[in-house]
Amino acid sequence: MTNLLNNPQEIWQCQPVEGVKMSAEALRQRSGKFEKRIRRRNVREYVASLLAAVCFGYFLVTTHAVLFRIAYVLFIVGLGWVVYQLHRKGSARSMPAAMGTSTCLQFFRAELERQRDVVKNVWPWYLAPLVPGFVILTAAYMRALPFPAGLASAVWLDGVVAVLFFLVWKMNRRAARRLQRIIDELYAGENSQ
Amino acid sequence: MIPVAAPTQDELYQDAARTYGAPLERLARAYEADPDIRGDLLQDIHVALWRSFEGFDGRCSTRTWIYRVAHNVGASHIMRQRRTRSEALVGLEELENLPDATTGPQAADRSQALDRLLDLIQRLKPLDRHVILSYLEGLDAASIGEITGLSPGNVATKIHRIKAVLARQFQQGGPDHD
Repeated sequence: MTNLLNNPQEIWQCQPVEGVKMSAEALRQRSGKFEKRIRRRNVREYVASLLAAVCFGYFLVTTHAVLFRIAYVLFIVGLGWVVYQLHRKGSARSMPAAMGTSTCLQFFRAELERQRDVVKNVWPWYLAPLVPGFVILTAAYMRALPFPAGLASAVWLDGVVAVLFFLVWKMNRRAARRLQRIIDELYAGENSQ
Repeated sequence: MIPVAAPTQDELYQDAARTYGAPLERLARAYEADPDIRGDLLQDIHVALWRSFEGFDGRCSTRTWIYRVAHNVGASHIMRQRRTRSEALVGLEELENLPDATTGPQAADRSQALDRLLDLIQRLKPLDRHVILSYLEGLDAASIGEITGLSPGNVATKIHRIKAVLARQFQQGGPDHD
């Protein structure tokens, strides 16, 4: 018995299996379900952004101050750009076609590099598009409220936004560095032999 | 001479499922511990395999193709799950150098031994997991290199480490050593 248990390959290959089989029909159905799952994920992203856009749209139609209205329009446009970028960068991707042609190393590295590129620099596509809206909103508060209340509101608003942006940037940078470490390890491992 | 028609996508898949059904199930078990999620993963592997055969051009063997697809689906699964689960994965080098956290009394029966083996595999990073699984399935170093894309020397080093870890895991302690 001891000899048997000392042979991991034998233990591994002789483990009981259920004999799962899928018919051609089941495969097509499952494949369709997979695409649906991806579509649902995309729809969730769109709905979340749409809700935010509806909020800004509500503010847009209920306020009469021009600067505030410009700020809300800029927020809506900025959100639209962020959603488009999220979709383009593939937060919810369909099953990659090259699974059989790529070796595990190529596939794994490509996936890591894709993820790293998404989080590496969130400024141009995730944070910057919202900045014009905040700038105009700041100006709108300063203009709408008497001194020093206007200035205090602007400082408070910009302070909170600046901290939030910094945290988002920092977290993404950290994630990018972690991914880069794994990618470097893969390159080092590949070249070490 | 009558020309032989190339097998269709469905035929290629059916043949692959018949020949490699059991290894694919074992592979899914190594990538997911939860039986419900594992069922989904196994179905995803089958679907990915079926879809991949649409672009199969015979440039590598069917076996290499099947294992690549299955491992790549498994790696994607790990990356997705890692966003929701916090446990850290380790490389073979780290596993080899870890103190006796992974070892203990020798497994009393086959089921315990298999559980221990699965526990060890599920702690590994994707690429090392590919190598150990291929080794356990009995593939040679050249085939493992073709599937994973690692150099023969790198595969040999990893297999050497795998053997050392498995030996420590399965031969240390236990009733026979008391």
